[in-house]
Amino acid sequence: MRLTEDDLYRTSTQYKHWSFTPAQLADQRKTTNISASERVKQNVARKRAAKAFDTPTASDNGSGVDTNGANTPLRTVDREVNCLTVAEEKKLVDTFCERALELGTFLNFPTEVTATGIQFLRRFYLFNSPMTYEPQTISRTAMFFANKVEGAHLTLEKYVASFPKATAEQVLAPEYLIVQGLRFQFQVRHPFHGLKGGHLEMMEMSRGNAEPLPASEKTKEEIQEELFQLPRKPNGPAQDMTVKQLQGRMGNAYALASKILKGPAQLTDAYFLYTPSQIWLAAHLLADEPLTLFYLSTKQALDSPLLQKLLAVIRECAALLSSHHSYTSDQTSPAEKAARDKAEKEEVQKLIKKLKQCRDPDKIDLVKLNQAQKRDAVKSEDGGSGLEESKAKRRKLGREKYEKEADEFFGPELGKKNVAVDVETKGV
Amino acid sequence: MNTNKIQHVSSPALRLPLSPRPNPSGAGAKLEVPEAKPLTILRASKSSVTIEDTIPQDVFEQAVDQSEALNDQVREQFVVGGRLGEGTYAIVYAGYYRQNPEHRVAIKKIKLNAEFKDGIAMDAIREIKFLQELEHPNIIKLHAVFSTKDQNLSLVLEHLPYGDLEALWKNKDVAYGAADIKAWAIMLANAVWFCHANHVLHRDIKGNNILIGPDGGIKLADFGLARGFADPGRPMTNQVITRFYRPPELLYGARYYSGAVDIWSMGIVISELCIRNFLVPSNTDIEQITAIEDIFGTPTDADWPFVSTLPLYKMTFDPANIKRPRPHSWWLQTMGILGSDGIDLLRGMLTMNPLLRLDSQRVLYHPYFANAPRPTMKEMLPRAGGGLKQTAEDHVRMESERVERFERGDKVARKLDFGAMRN
Repeated sequence: MRLTEDDLYRTSTQYKHWSFTPAQLADQRKTTNISASERVKQNVARKRAAKAFDTPTASDNGSGVDTNGANTPLRTVDREVNCLTVAEEKKLVDTFCERALELGTFLNFPTEVTATGIQFLRRFYLFNSPMTYEPQTISRTAMFFANKVEGAHLTLEKYVASFPKATAEQVLAPEYLIVQGLRFQFQVRHPFHGLKGGHLEMMEMSRGNAEPLPASEKTKEEIQEELFQLPRKPNGPAQDMTVKQLQGRMGNAYALASKILKGPAQLTDAYFLYTPSQIWLAAHLLADEPLTLFYLSTKQALDSPLLQKLLAVIRECAALLSSHHSYTSDQTSPAEKAARDKAEKEEVQKLIKKLKQCRDPDKIDLVKLNQAQKRDAVKSEDGGSGLEESKAKRRKLGREKYEKEADEFFGPELGKKNVAVDVETKGV
Repeated sequence: MNTNKIQHVSSPALRLPLSPRPNPSGAGAKLEVPEAKPLTILRASKSSVTIEDTIPQDVFEQAVDQSEALNDQVREQFVVGGRLGEGTYAIVYAGYYRQNPEHRVAIKKIKLNAEFKDGIAMDAIREIKFLQELEHPNIIKLHAVFSTKDQNLSLVLEHLPYGDLEALWKNKDVAYGAADIKAWAIMLANAVWFCHANHVLHRDIKGNNILIGPDGGIKLADFGLARGFADPGRPMTNQVITRFYRPPELLYGARYYSGAVDIWSMGIVISELCIRNFLVPSNTDIEQITAIEDIFGTPTDADWPFVSTLPLYKMTFDPANIKRPRPHSWWLQTMGILGSDGIDLLRGMLTMNPLLRLDSQRVLYHPYFANAPRPTMKEMLPRAGGGLKQTAEDHVRMESERVERFERGDKVARKLDFGAMRN
């Protein structure tokens, strides 16, 4: 009795609930965008109404002209809420995934913790909009939660200490929100192990030790010999490599593929659209095409329909990975890269500015919201009849205070690299 | 609340800003200033109406998050019945599917733990993470997870009303034989194999984490200490697995280990079924090592290369007192009920050197399972009374026992996080 990797993957929640066709993915994002936009507009309208409603009393002491305040003019002219589009939302999420990646590096998180955190973010924002939940706040919590899920065990205290301006309460407040947004599915299947396995297998082939599959017509010696002659580039001239040279080549391919998996694979929709093995093979294909094709040919004849079909998918995935602005290969010139990054930065700044104008006013202060939720639950369990006046007032004041602070939300960037946090793998 | 009250106030100015419109307050649009009159009336009334409160409730309801709606949908599927039991860390309720009251479930509500400062507790995260992925007839089924308004997680688990394997061998009213043991052993071996095939270490296999289902089949439960296989070279904690079931490598302080740890525990469980007693009981970790060495002998570098390099090996090692393993005749005498093939399997699982211990695949392929007697059909297996109450007690007990041992602010946990793990 043996389960193949495919059998295992098909039973995973990642396959069952978090894999999509491009059309499904687009539809889901559209649904999320529409419902969030509607809600933002509704809530903004309500806020404005409330403000208008309050204005007369506020002006009572001041003007003294009209004690019932009927003629007090409104101070602000309300503008139409200009909500984010689907594409803008996606761009923002992508951006915050990149920042999460930087955060992971800064915190010395193991690769899979960071990667899991980023995938949590991407999954969360399939069903939630950045307009509703501010991505910086959510990503901070998602990364902490990923740290727990992957058993890396950085304590909250230490985690919080690595931010210039964050409290434990702020980090924990959206935890339930995120857990619910993830539909209580916490396992993310990464392509890292697959890549490592494939690399080790290739290294064995280079030593002439890899037992070919029963169906294979080649012996292990023939496999080794063909590897020595493998062209560097597609359609390039045959080589005559030594074992050492070949292994160096394999090492380089592994390093580059690994970099792609840690970068572009996390920052694009790759996980939603492809399986872990497709992703690692795509990354490896980008790193060393002849080597990857040869590796595949030891499993199936290259012209077999199955492999042709698989190759089409892998190439598609490779195209996605290489389309990301962080992708670099030998062919990318530094100028090209700089230009890409600059354009990227400008676009993002515009978006963040826009987001500030269309935040859902009800969801700005998650800490308060979280406390209120807990309190309400306690109340309703007691059979209580709603909130007391003082509490309601206090909560309202708090909310308003935080609205004012909302502008500062994007203020502090991630901390400077002076707080060294050591997340050496303490194992669990 | 008070939605009705506000509707009595018939000011158009009031209604206007309050009614949600698709795109309200368009550019440049001026809001009419509400008259003060209704306002004063409002304020004068003793009720605590604020603007927020006057918005009809359905405005919020239309606008629930998608994930919130999904969660509500899941929660709606179940009817939560009476409280079955309560432990320090979980409350278990009886429950059933709304659509099918015959389909009963146990709903385990994880209590918020005030002592654990880092949010949702690790054991809840682990249990949910792994049970979501593992679907197997011999692993407890997690039907669903949902959260309630007060932010408690509820796990909807399979209803398993017939107690556990430890209670079974302890219950002198229940008689069973060789074929029954074989049936339990193969179901357990299947469960463990499935975990390992999915790269999951259970790390707390023991008789009372193995529950008995309504059809007599057994279900491996309690994944609160489980974890995925670690990458080679990445250390794990050795403070796992209930002591009686903890393999020697963990007792010697190994930080790099494999599925072999679960195999040892499984071997102990099967041996307990045979002798209807604990095989290696103890009160401390040191005593546990002694108890194991009494039966299996003191390992040395000769039969277990590099065992002497394990961190805690030297603590108990006494060159003047190297114990010899019990002879085969002892096994025949004690575990005779298994037959010689069964003893061979058991000794394969209870091999001191984890590298020589059988792995879950080889356990399943062992001839013991194919040889006569055939394992009893699960429906025919002997069992004790059980009932709804038992399910709850099992869940509550498992939760609190584990937590007391390994988690949540007790000494062990502190050691686990900061102390012993440094090197």
